[in-house]
Amino acid sequence: MKRTVAIALKIPDNEAYTALTALRRLGVDVARLERAEIWQFEDSGSHEDFARRVERNETLFNPNKHVLAVLDAGVPRPGEAWIEQLDAKEVPVRIAGISCGRRRVGWRLFARGHAPADRGTVEAAVDALLCNPAIERAIIA
Amino acid sequence: MTAAAKVAVLVFPGTNSEVETRRICRDVGLDAHIVHWSRAATLPQYDAYVLPGGFAYEDRVRAGAIPAHDPMMDYVIEAVQRGKLALGVCNGAQIMLEAGLVPGTGAVRKPTAAFTRNGPVPHFVCKHVHIKLAVAPERCAITAALPEGALIPAWAAHGEGRLAATPEHLQEIADGGHVAFLYAHADGTVNADAVPNGSALGCAGLTNREGNALAIMPHPERDAWNYNHPDVRESDDMLAPSGGMLLFSAFAQALKRS
Repeated sequence: MKRTVAIALKIPDNEAYTALTALRRLGVDVARLERAEIWQFEDSGSHEDFARRVERNETLFNPNKHVLAVLDAGVPRPGEAWIEQLDAKEVPVRIAGISCGRRRVGWRLFARGHAPADRGTVEAAVDALLCNPAIERAIIA
Repeated sequence: MTAAAKVAVLVFPGTNSEVETRRICRDVGLDAHIVHWSRAATLPQYDAYVLPGGFAYEDRVRAGAIPAHDPMMDYVIEAVQRGKLALGVCNGAQIMLEAGLVPGTGAVRKPTAAFTRNGPVPHFVCKHVHIKLAVAPERCAITAALPEGALIPAWAAHGEGRLAATPEHLQEIADGGHVAFLYAHADGTVNADAVPNGSALGCAGLTNREGNALAIMPHPERDAWNYNHPDVRESDDMLAPSGGMLLFSAFAQALKRS
């Protein structure tokens, strides 16, 4: 079955900070921005140890700097856009029970007070900076 | 005697080819100066702009995406819209695409194409290549002094140099004569084997509709003197100009005319 994880940095994310300052300069009202690698796998293993199996792949996950969240819904969270290359393909990965996965970049926008940004703000950020429609598509829940 | 044209070589955090770019500009008689991002307000005094290679803003978000929105590009975009010349090389070319300066088929900062990760294998390419002028020289002001079909040696050094766009935009790029340079073999023949990165249309460089902006992926400034050239012999004058100088000479001649 299809399973989705978000692998984000727990150390300061310079790329997210640069994108945040660029978005603010472009007039997008966002208080905080988080970036994550979104991996979707076709998993034939057990659900219970799914996260642990992914965390064992040291090219995807470094416990010193990453934090992993399983996204049960398999779709972007509120305030989040997933950016995918138009020509994206499944790539092979070495994880027990999983042979390949699809990588996207997730950008999670927050308004003041830590609430997820509204859809209009996410779309504005995607349009202004986060997605080049010539080569990428944005997925917003 | 007329003063040499003043050229700004733009530096963003992460640009790394500014010194050789300034050197080749000076060697062809231009009054070239390195201008850092913190000095953007000085840009209007320049006659033309060169965006050199590197990894501006560490390629964060996408190659060229953050610098395309840097205040420094406000000046460059406005200058190009008023007819000044702009030349981008490698990362500079990526920035020009993200800024919408080339192919210029969409709105400013609404890119209709990208130089994106190489294909079919997404590896960094470091390879000596040749690029061939694919339009009439006068189609682009910067190439106007080149002979028809000019062949220029250069070094491809990029992980993201493949032209990509939607089929509709690629058609618009082809039909509009925006492909200024194609990858070619050393004898000038053009075919898929000469393309080091899977670039659509075999494209190595793009120009805009007006022909005053040119973005090329390989580095002619890295094959500008004989010591840069892979076939150099010990008996050659190492400091003599090599083929990459041609493009910058044409750039200088364009500035003399303008």
